Amino acid sequence: MSLPFIDVASARPWPPRISAFTKPFWDALREGRLMTTRGRTSGRLTFPPKPFCPHDWGREVEWVELSGRGKLYTQTVIHATPAAFIGEAPIRNGIVDLEEGVRIAARILGEPALECRVECVVLRYTDGPLFAFRAAGTAHRL
Amino acid sequence: MTRRVAIIGAAASPNGKLQTPQDAPLQTLEHEILAPLVIEAMAVAGVPKEEVGALVFAMCRPYTLQKYFATFMANYLRLPLKGSIMEVLGNGMTGGMAFDQAINAVALGHADVALALGINMESQAASAEHAMSTMRATGDVDFHTIFGFTPIAWYAMDAVRYMHDFGATRAQLASVAVKNRRHACLNPIAQFRKPLSLEEVLSARPIVEPLGLFEVPPRGDGAVCLVVCAEEVAKARGTPYALVRGRGFFHDGTHQLSDVPNDMIAFSAAHRAATAAYGAAGIGPGDLDLAELYAPCTIVEVLASEALGLTPRGRGAAEAQAGETSLGGRIPICTSGGCLSRGHPAYVTGLLTIYELWEQLTHRAGERQVANARLGAGSCELGNYNAALIHILEAVA
Repeated sequence: MSLPFIDVASARPWPPRISAFTKPFWDALREGRLMTTRGRTSGRLTFPPKPFCPHDWGREVEWVELSGRGKLYTQTVIHATPAAFIGEAPIRNGIVDLEEGVRIAARILGEPALECRVECVVLRYTDGPLFAFRAAGTAHRL
Repeated sequence: MTRRVAIIGAAASPNGKLQTPQDAPLQTLEHEILAPLVIEAMAVAGVPKEEVGALVFAMCRPYTLQKYFATFMANYLRLPLKGSIMEVLGNGMTGGMAFDQAINAVALGHADVALALGINMESQAASAEHAMSTMRATGDVDFHTIFGFTPIAWYAMDAVRYMHDFGATRAQLASVAVKNRRHACLNPIAQFRKPLSLEEVLSARPIVEPLGLFEVPPRGDGAVCLVVCAEEVAKARGTPYALVRGRGFFHDGTHQLSDVPNDMIAFSAAHRAATAAYGAAGIGPGDLDLAELYAPCTIVEVLASEALGLTPRGRGAAEAQAGETSLGGRIPICTSGGCLSRGHPAYVTGLLTIYELWEQLTHRAGERQVANARLGAGSCELGNYNAALIHILEAVA
């Protein structure tokens, strides 16, 4: 099932570099799926995705889809942003603990309280996607 | 071979805006600021320059034009060296690592006297532009920086979680800034020496919520030189010195954020580094007379004070507000004024930490002197205290 999309009428302020390895992550996000890697021998997830498992250094990993559901661990509103982000200031960013036991940092939409249930959304910028979170079941936009 | 190491001399510039605008007809030059400090520190140490066997520099900011600054300075000072010369970089630990490497040079017998020194010039870089560089220092450039996180944004998130978990108030956190300003008013090298009220801290414009202007580090420049030596050299002089009693380090194997959920505000690396340092010194936190913590934001001082066992878990902010961590209190923290008011020229902050301990332990601290100060701890860290380096120093009269 696809994550919700939110269109943003500008380019990403500071786009990520994409490698041959991370390309599947960004391609999947563009299609509404949040992915990461799991070590075949350890069975453990990691984020960001890595071409090996950091837990046991196993060299075989598989791509798995994350639910995008989790709880807000903490957040802040950044008023003094780096130059590239001044157009988006102030920025609300936070840390989310996903149901799968993975901690992830991202843009936060709306003003959810800590421990609030949140869901992942895809910000569809003109040049590519970023991921963000908002209180589950709400319609908050950027 | 290892041997005991002491500090026998130190000098520091005033902190603040030392750097000149690029188009100023007369420029301030890094070596012209740092060299007199070397000479002053060595005069305090009372040993001839020929005794110096190693130079360990905190790396300069990229704004410093002179490259290979270390050997450039050795030439400027005409200092042949039999031990080593290097520039070290460890983000927030940079200054602390410079001190640590100078200790090693002496402890291992590579040098009898070593200098740990550095100059951090950055104040002419506009904050938003400077942040374009520092934003790439925390988290993953391709997965975190893309959202516009800045280093202090992570500390702000610590503050939000701390207030959530322990019911700490904004006023409690803000009281750390008021206390540190009070300390800085007594410190001749502090960047800010005008008293600051709780109301001013609370009503300041927001920088990274909930932290306002006075709860995040000022931009500024600074320079410092420490003279360390083998204890027998220190003893032979017959004047007071500060002995390195213990050292602890821990890196938790994460960079800014652990993808395995943990208690982010426990600062576990600081706790483990402190435990190691106390163990090496054969003391406990209750034996300390003062602590100088690497704390760019109010919340960082609170969390580090808890991790080092100086205040109970969840009570750091309340104890700061109650005066327990003020001069005259149970355990004075950041008597220099700390990063917030003494100043935070980041790459030499770790050296300034040791400089303040030196001043206190050799009873040079004037109006901010901690009475009978004998044992002091200094800490520095790497991004949200994922790593911490802690030294315990002892006064020897």
